[in-house]
Amino acid sequence: MKLSLSWLQSYVDLTGVSADDISRAITFLGFEVEQVIHTGAPKFNQVVVGHILTRDKHPNADKLAVCTVDVGEASGGVRTIVCGAPNCDVGNRVPVALPGAVLPGDFVIKEAKVRGQASSGMMCSAKELTLAEDAQGLLLLAGEPTVGTPINEVLPAGDTVFDIEITPNRPDCLSHLGVARELAAWFKKDLAYPSVSFTPAAITANPRVDLLKSVRVEAATDCPLYTATVVTGVKVGPSPDWIQQRLTAVGLRPINNVVDIGNYVMLEYGQPVHAFDAQKLAGAEIVVRHATEGEKITTLDDKARVLSANMLVIADATKPVVIAGIMGSADSGVSSDTTDLVLEVAYFKRQSVRATAKRLGLSSDSSYRYERGVDVHSLDEAAHRFIDLILAHAGGQVAGPIHRVGADIPWEREITVTPAYINEKLGFEIPADAIRTALESLELSVVREEDTESRGPAWTFSVPSWRDDLDRPIDLVEEVVRLHGTEKIPTSVITAPGLVGNDDPIVLFNRMVSSAFVGQGFNECVNYTLRPAKELAAWATPAAVADLALANPFVEDQSHLRNTLVSGLLESLKLNQSRGVAVSHLFETGRVFIERNGQLSECVAAAFVIAEETGERSWRTREPADFYTAKRHTATIAALAGIELERQPTALVAAPALGWQEGHAATAGNIQHGWTSTFGLVSLAHLKSLGITGKVYAGFFAMVSEKVTADADRRGYKPFSLQPAALRDLAIIVPGTTTAAEVQKALAKVARAAVGNAFALEAVNVFDVYQGKGLPEGTKSLAYSLVFRATDRTLTDDEVNAVFTKIQDDLVKATGWSIRK
Amino acid sequence: MQDQLSALLAKAATELPAIHTRPEFEAAKARFVGPNGELTALMKQMGSVPKEQKPVVGKLVNEAKTALQAHLDAALARIEAAALAAQLGPAVDPTLPSPDRAPGTHHPLTLVREEMTRILRKVGFTVVEGPEVETEYYCFDALNTPSDHPARDAQDTFYLPESARFGNVSKKNPNEKYLLRTHTSSVQIRTMLKGEPPIRIVSPGRVYRRDTTDATHSANFHQLECLYVDKNVSVRDLKALLDYIFASLLGKDTKTRFRPHYFGYTEPSFEVDLSAKHLPKVNKDWIEIGGCGMVDPVVFKDVGYDPEVWSGYAFGMGLERLAMLLYGIDDIRYFYQNDVRFLRQFA
Repeated sequence: MKLSLSWLQSYVDLTGVSADDISRAITFLGFEVEQVIHTGAPKFNQVVVGHILTRDKHPNADKLAVCTVDVGEASGGVRTIVCGAPNCDVGNRVPVALPGAVLPGDFVIKEAKVRGQASSGMMCSAKELTLAEDAQGLLLLAGEPTVGTPINEVLPAGDTVFDIEITPNRPDCLSHLGVARELAAWFKKDLAYPSVSFTPAAITANPRVDLLKSVRVEAATDCPLYTATVVTGVKVGPSPDWIQQRLTAVGLRPINNVVDIGNYVMLEYGQPVHAFDAQKLAGAEIVVRHATEGEKITTLDDKARVLSANMLVIADATKPVVIAGIMGSADSGVSSDTTDLVLEVAYFKRQSVRATAKRLGLSSDSSYRYERGVDVHSLDEAAHRFIDLILAHAGGQVAGPIHRVGADIPWEREITVTPAYINEKLGFEIPADAIRTALESLELSVVREEDTESRGPAWTFSVPSWRDDLDRPIDLVEEVVRLHGTEKIPTSVITAPGLVGNDDPIVLFNRMVSSAFVGQGFNECVNYTLRPAKELAAWATPAAVADLALANPFVEDQSHLRNTLVSGLLESLKLNQSRGVAVSHLFETGRVFIERNGQLSECVAAAFVIAEETGERSWRTREPADFYTAKRHTATIAALAGIELERQPTALVAAPALGWQEGHAATAGNIQHGWTSTFGLVSLAHLKSLGITGKVYAGFFAMVSEKVTADADRRGYKPFSLQPAALRDLAIIVPGTTTAAEVQKALAKVARAAVGNAFALEAVNVFDVYQGKGLPEGTKSLAYSLVFRATDRTLTDDEVNAVFTKIQDDLVKATGWSIRK
Repeated sequence: MQDQLSALLAKAATELPAIHTRPEFEAAKARFVGPNGELTALMKQMGSVPKEQKPVVGKLVNEAKTALQAHLDAALARIEAAALAAQLGPAVDPTLPSPDRAPGTHHPLTLVREEMTRILRKVGFTVVEGPEVETEYYCFDALNTPSDHPARDAQDTFYLPESARFGNVSKKNPNEKYLLRTHTSSVQIRTMLKGEPPIRIVSPGRVYRRDTTDATHSANFHQLECLYVDKNVSVRDLKALLDYIFASLLGKDTKTRFRPHYFGYTEPSFEVDLSAKHLPKVNKDWIEIGGCGMVDPVVFKDVGYDPEVWSGYAFGMGLERLAMLLYGIDDIRYFYQNDVRFLRQFA
């Protein structure tokens, strides 16, 4: 909201207070100052009133004149000045910039020669003094100002405009009076209310029922109070300069006296008002009602609008003439030939105005104030002020009593508070009398004073009607600290007692994943949670994508919740590749949303990608990543969530599947059981469609957020043998489709049984996988290294060989596989 | 005998330097000093040496044995050194860059979040998490947001369709809608409902606003919020926290100041300004960094805490904004593009 300083000055005397100090005051009263604008003339030095005594043609230039100008004794008396303006006529009084003056734009005035003719100064136009955007000729000073007077004393003073943001709790400050009240309290000055001379008792003229015979409110809930006053015989014309200047200063365009006064009262009191041309009201009646569905109105901005049934309108006998509290119709407005007015000042419920304004996408200074809340108890005063100003500046007389429909809404609010309470909440001491003065300066008044037993005086304040935001003792704490000055809150040290708990397991998980992957040379990424549907289509079934949709996306490419982190990382890869930036290892942690038991679950997730094509050539190449690299990194994530991936059933992605390359990716876990993971090669076709160069291996792990728990169980220590190990290697020929996990499991089982309790089978490690020449068609060979060890002795060859032979026999018997000799 | 010994030594001196492998060496060693070696054969002749010559000959034999062993040792050392040298290629050029990939990097948002939580942990704040999908109750109602408050508008807040079901985001009321949280303050409510005061938590996390993405706006961004609930918590304590946080983060010459403001869930409420002239790209005296205030009694009542007994403060700020200030980053979108040239700058 824009506030004019000269306007504020009419309620509070701020003489001698700088604009900076006022700006600071507004800031510390709790309103952000977005801009301070100075209007009018800047401060000039060496620019004075001059009187043109003679004018001669310049001997060497057709368009120039040589004048003698009296600038006063103090400024050197009569000077010769060359001038190019057409209106440098003898007798004119104009601003003269003397040598040494600096005009806006750092334009320094010097003694000079213009086409061979000496010139001692410059006569100025309004543009040169930055008083106007454009000017033809010199600025002529009216009223014969004294020669030699500094120009600022002659020019209008200008104004300072503060553009400030009013917080939603302070609708009372959407007015000059409201902000003046705050400033008066801050600077400890008196607040002078506008003097309103109109009183309903003073009305002598008879009602003009031909203009307005009735006011009927059919929607009292949305319009608890409505007043209408008929004023006849007005003369529409320009409003007085001071009103025009103030409105212009705060960014409103003056229109005519009636409209301007309406705006003026609104910006003065914060109470929107409206003036109708009484002659245009069909049926001489006003009905406050809800619109009928589909009813039409063309508003002042010349837009045709279709209304719906819950929108409040002000109507005459036949049609709506105003969308209540928002905007009038184009044809009921005041025009230059209007002579009779109906002045409306009403209270509309904020919810009603807000809903309608939102539905129509139409807002105005009026609706903005109604939406924030106007003070119904100041309504009559604003109405009387409106009438006053109309009578004073548009003439006419009030015809008949004010139509006033609606019950008086009572206002009584008291808050009891002790200074001890306030100081306790603040944690520092403000003297009791300062507390009381601060609250009283905001027009809260003490209605009762009692002594409490232990906490000193208790004051009961009555709260003014415009401060609906003050309701409880804590609200007064804020008022006190505001006026005390929040800059003065003392610095101190933290006195909080130790209270450290454990960080959330999710935090720990993310932190550990982040450290682990950074340690492995990955760059951590952060991608948007909201993804386009077409991107997710590669990572979820159509039904799942549909479930991830937002109800009200803002843009198409951010319409769905993500169910994977891989797609974002691929986007990051792509961005770097297309910018020619070397990139290979990226990871991210974050939330994803995955379908589980027919509902979405918020999951904690981590993912990585490794690009084969790094975009960077190296003088020595390293072994590239493959499926098993992705498996290892995924296992790292899983381990940090308390899951040993190698011990989990792993399934090959065997059919073309969401984003992954069949035959080269695998899944472990199941979200039904709380977690899921997929790792391996990203579908080559998908990469191609994304325009990513080279293969990409990736891994993704997600766990339902509540399953991420800090595993507090400390593992037990197992003693280990200090004796030497005995090793035996065993190659097993199995069908080509048999997995390593199956072989491992079968072998470990028979080996453990064969060893029994005699000694220990320490490890079974696969060390070779072979398929091809020397083996039967459709088979492969897996070679394992078996590690045996006893706790108490060196094993003898004999005992190990006996067990090893038994293992081979048992395995063949149990599985039908053969041993490769 | 002396001649024989001399001849043997001379032979060793010529043969041994020509040997280059360990097996050749072992064979030569056997030839000279093995059980069937030449020296051994000579030593066996000692028995036939006259008694009076024995000391002299014995000395000669011993000298020859020592000399021969020296030849062997030298040869072995040479062969072993050569074998080790053979394992090496030519000397490296230490100025070539390592072909292994550069160290990984933490994202600047992670760095800023971790630094803030570290600072807060020192004064007893524990890090908590909450769901990003929230309900109207936790995001608005419980935080004293009026039912017609603009923040609730579908224009400003992302909602999930009414058909949406979340298995692990609890609703307070069956009819409320799911939404994407607009601030991390919802975590305050969940924490207070779950536990008993005193409470001292910090909740960093991702939040969502229905905004046009530009240099300073993003559909999702991150906040960090502190909540402290205890007996006799005052505005002065709140100021002490803010002073502590920013002095820890930016140095002792950092100043904070409060400006009165309005938030529904705190009373009184303040905006926090920061003055730290050494920060890059900050040339204004004061920059706004966050919002704070004393927890409104309404919020306490709603979670079942007695506002006559308990008091508290809350403070919240944007992590992107802080990171932008700290590092002098001028466009919020850089955080989400993951250009590696950007990511590598914050390691």
